[in-house]
Amino acid sequence: MDKKYIFIKRFWLPVALFFIAIILPFVVSEFWVHVFNEILILGLFAAAFNLVFGYMGQLSFGQAAYYGIGAYTTGLLMVKLQWPLFACLPVSMLTAGIGALILGYFCVKLRGIYFAILTMAFGQLVFFIIFQWYSFTGGDNGLQGINPPEWLFKAIPYYYFSLAVVTIGMIILYFITESPFGYTLRAIRDNTERTEFIGINVQRYMLINFVISGMFCGLAGALWGPFNRSVAPDLCGWQHSGHPVFMAVMGGPHHFLGPMIGSVIFTFLNAFVTGFTEYWPLVSGLVIIVVVLVMPGGVFGIIKEKGYFSPRDVGDVKNE
Amino acid sequence: MKIKVLLSMVLALSIMFSLSGNAPAAEPYNLGVALGFTGTGTLYSKDQMEGIQVAVDEINKEGGFLKKHPIKVFQQDTQTKPDVGVRTVKDLILRDKVRAVINDYSSAVAVAVKPICREYKTLHIAAISNSENITKINYSPYTFQVVPNSYMQAKAASYAVAQMAKTKGWKEYVTLSSDYEWGRSTQEEVVKDLKKVAPFLSVKKELWPKLGETQFASFVTSIMSMKPDFVYACLASKDNVTFTEQAKPYGFFDKIPYVGSMQSVTELITEAKTMPRGLVAISRAPFFAHLDVPMMAEFVKNYRAKYNGKYPSDWAVMGYDAVYALKQGIEKAGSIDTEKVKDAMKGLTVNLTRGKLQFRPIDNQLRCSSYVGVVKDDPKYPFPILAELIEIKAADSERPEAEIIAARQAEKK
Amino acid sequence: MEFTFLFSQFMSGLTYGLMLFLVASGLSLIFGVMNILNFAHATLWLIGAYICFTFWSLMEAHQFALWVSIPLAALATAATGWVCEVVLIKRIYKRELHEQLLITYAMALIFGDLIKIVWGPTDRLIVRPSIIQKPLFLFGAPIDSYFIFVILIGVAVAVGLWWFLKYTKYGHIVKAAVYSREMVGALGIPIPKIYTWVFTLGIFIAGLAGGVQSAIGSVTLGMDMNIIIQAFCVVVIGGFGSLMGTLVGSLIVGEVFSFAILYWPDGAMVLIFVITAMILIVKPWGLFGTPLRA
Repeated sequence: MDKKYIFIKRFWLPVALFFIAIILPFVVSEFWVHVFNEILILGLFAAAFNLVFGYMGQLSFGQAAYYGIGAYTTGLLMVKLQWPLFACLPVSMLTAGIGALILGYFCVKLRGIYFAILTMAFGQLVFFIIFQWYSFTGGDNGLQGINPPEWLFKAIPYYYFSLAVVTIGMIILYFITESPFGYTLRAIRDNTERTEFIGINVQRYMLINFVISGMFCGLAGALWGPFNRSVAPDLCGWQHSGHPVFMAVMGGPHHFLGPMIGSVIFTFLNAFVTGFTEYWPLVSGLVIIVVVLVMPGGVFGIIKEKGYFSPRDVGDVKNE
Repeated sequence: MKIKVLLSMVLALSIMFSLSGNAPAAEPYNLGVALGFTGTGTLYSKDQMEGIQVAVDEINKEGGFLKKHPIKVFQQDTQTKPDVGVRTVKDLILRDKVRAVINDYSSAVAVAVKPICREYKTLHIAAISNSENITKINYSPYTFQVVPNSYMQAKAASYAVAQMAKTKGWKEYVTLSSDYEWGRSTQEEVVKDLKKVAPFLSVKKELWPKLGETQFASFVTSIMSMKPDFVYACLASKDNVTFTEQAKPYGFFDKIPYVGSMQSVTELITEAKTMPRGLVAISRAPFFAHLDVPMMAEFVKNYRAKYNGKYPSDWAVMGYDAVYALKQGIEKAGSIDTEKVKDAMKGLTVNLTRGKLQFRPIDNQLRCSSYVGVVKDDPKYPFPILAELIEIKAADSERPEAEIIAARQAEKK
Repeated sequence: MEFTFLFSQFMSGLTYGLMLFLVASGLSLIFGVMNILNFAHATLWLIGAYICFTFWSLMEAHQFALWVSIPLAALATAATGWVCEVVLIKRIYKRELHEQLLITYAMALIFGDLIKIVWGPTDRLIVRPSIIQKPLFLFGAPIDSYFIFVILIGVAVAVGLWWFLKYTKYGHIVKAAVYSREMVGALGIPIPKIYTWVFTLGIFIAGLAGGVQSAIGSVTLGMDMNIIIQAFCVVVIGGFGSLMGTLVGSLIVGEVFSFAILYWPDGAMVLIFVITAMILIVKPWGLFGTPLRA
């Protein structure tokens, strides 16, 4: 096939989304700019989570821990040491990565339900440490006064800043998933034993992947603090770990952009529904049930089934 | 096909946006209410909302603020979580175009929301969340507090405790406080203050049950075996209820004086049958303390008429007062313009259900009283009230201005 | 003095542990047999507590009200559980892990809000019958007299389940299903039917636990989310599907929590998660569990 054609076929959607994202602030009101900012940050979070879930085939129910570590790193550096935001982002990735390395070392020894529960237990561990360590993290009160620099202070500039960071993050994630490393992960997911037989150190690959995922969760968290002007321990709780799971499942874990699309739907719905009812948990619960029962492959699953266009599926290795 | 799908999506989106944007011209006064209708603050928030509603109905009957701006209430749920609180308040400000936000039970939410309100030049009234940090540091000219803050309450409590300790010869005590902002700051203030006013007292142990603890048995037994002269408690809301219920079967309250817990009218009503009598409790705005003020008597009457004879809790009283404080600010400013109202409210003396009270110019804290009393049955009500009530006025309990200035300078470094 | 002190702490840990056991045993049973981790378990437990309150308030004037309400609450909750199973859980037997988790999580969210709609946000309090209002003294240590009842119920459920699994035909089928669904199915035993009843039994125990809980402190919204994670920890420590393990796990968590409050109050919760994580790392299938099918 023509190389150019493949390129267009493969990238028209992300490029289109990117341009829509650029135009948005001119079209919508300020509140929705905030919502889209949230969508971007949570979308990156979900995409990083999906590295473990969609590509490696393990369900982590504790990714919020690394998101929270990233958020608190940036928050603490900015509030206590007055570091500039730009310096905080890489450091947050680093600390979240270190956290993921230490905890992930144990997690990758397990599979399936045990993996899910251990990640959750570690997530709660991080949550309680942050919650209890009053003198350092401010306990349940969180940290306030995390203000981005003057020129990023308003909603729209910060939105573009998030857009830039998230886009770069997503591109890096994309290259990782398309690298030989990414394909090894798919192989591990599809058949762990066979992958081991061909001489691949499965645990090491899983650990590296877990750390990368943790780093990008941390990056997303680092964007959150200055966006919200504060961080609170809820960001690390197990309920927050559930969000990327919904998003990935909603958008479709078998497509690179699935989690981002899931974030669009979920966050948008949240902003819309909470505007007129306090029963958001009820609504979100019903939505989750419908998604799981009616559209198991998420949005991209449906699109593929109906044949509108065929997004590249991360599901099958053999077709690549 | 593809284009059709895209077009319909764009159409759907634009409908959603148009539904939500376009606030009508500035005639009505949009009042935002962001409370924790889910999460730990649920119980108090419902009461507070009812108080606000009564005030809004009364004012709207006269045509609204300045008799021409009917109040339109926009209500949102913060889930008692700071990050959700921030989002809901942005939503209220940007989408519903509210001019003022009455905010949460949780102080953690209030401090997170404060800078957002400041950024968008929106009034922020902390009606029931009482951390001192809401007004002490990171001062925002848009934030007003109509509840006695944690420092004032702690001062009031330690004043009462010192009196009792002297007469009863108490020496050692244990503190029991919820592990979050309010519990932490109150405990800290009380311990510090008791050191000053009652230096013969010493802390034997500090216990920190987490917020929303459901099993207090281990705390109960460990306190009982330490045999302190009394327990100083800073438990709020349902934690307090759970603790009293779980401690009672141990005979805890017969053995150890339990001082300082907050028993608002909400607790007094829900635990009417079960609450141990004789507790020394602190309260923020009990209606029975001010029935001599005509406004309070009127409010209690209207509230009971609206809500099937239910008595207003402290939270309802403060919700009601928040709206009336705003009303008087607007009247003084002669306009609903937020900048003018904010300036008018600074240092303003307002007529509220709790009497004539002033917003202190330095921190916008309402100079209201705290109340300490003994839980006792009263034939007039179907629930116990705080008897032998001591009203500790703001003048005797507020933090000296010099300390506030020092704290703010320390913050700037 | 010192002994009394430790003893009363031990007793409160014991009752806390047995309360957890009542919640976790159903969770463990359901997981062991059906391989479904039920996020909504504690929410159904809370529903049990609220239902118990409602029954109690209907009979408030009588001393026996509480004792009658607890079994009624258990039955009503079991009925709710049965409906959930037939309507929802049945559809996800063969689904993937994350889908099962999400469905039960969604159930927890929905039931949480339904509780709020039905019972409102007010704390619900049960006035205990006079017989259990005063403390008992054991070795000089004061003990909540209701806890004797809690301990009895806990032991009764443990023994009852043990007897059921060991000596009844259905118990044997259930135990066999833990090891091999296919084999049991091949023997002509209708697996879906077994599942439905196991789920209902699990929820029955949860409802019973909820009823028992309702007389300990107040019944409030959000209690479920506090306890579910601890129940998970219990099941992990003891081992999935192991009754003995769940009992031991509950007691460990209860006692650790109770004594940590004495010596290191800030770290009580952290410690429980550290223990859970350590068990998972060293022995993923728990102290008493057997490695399950993947």
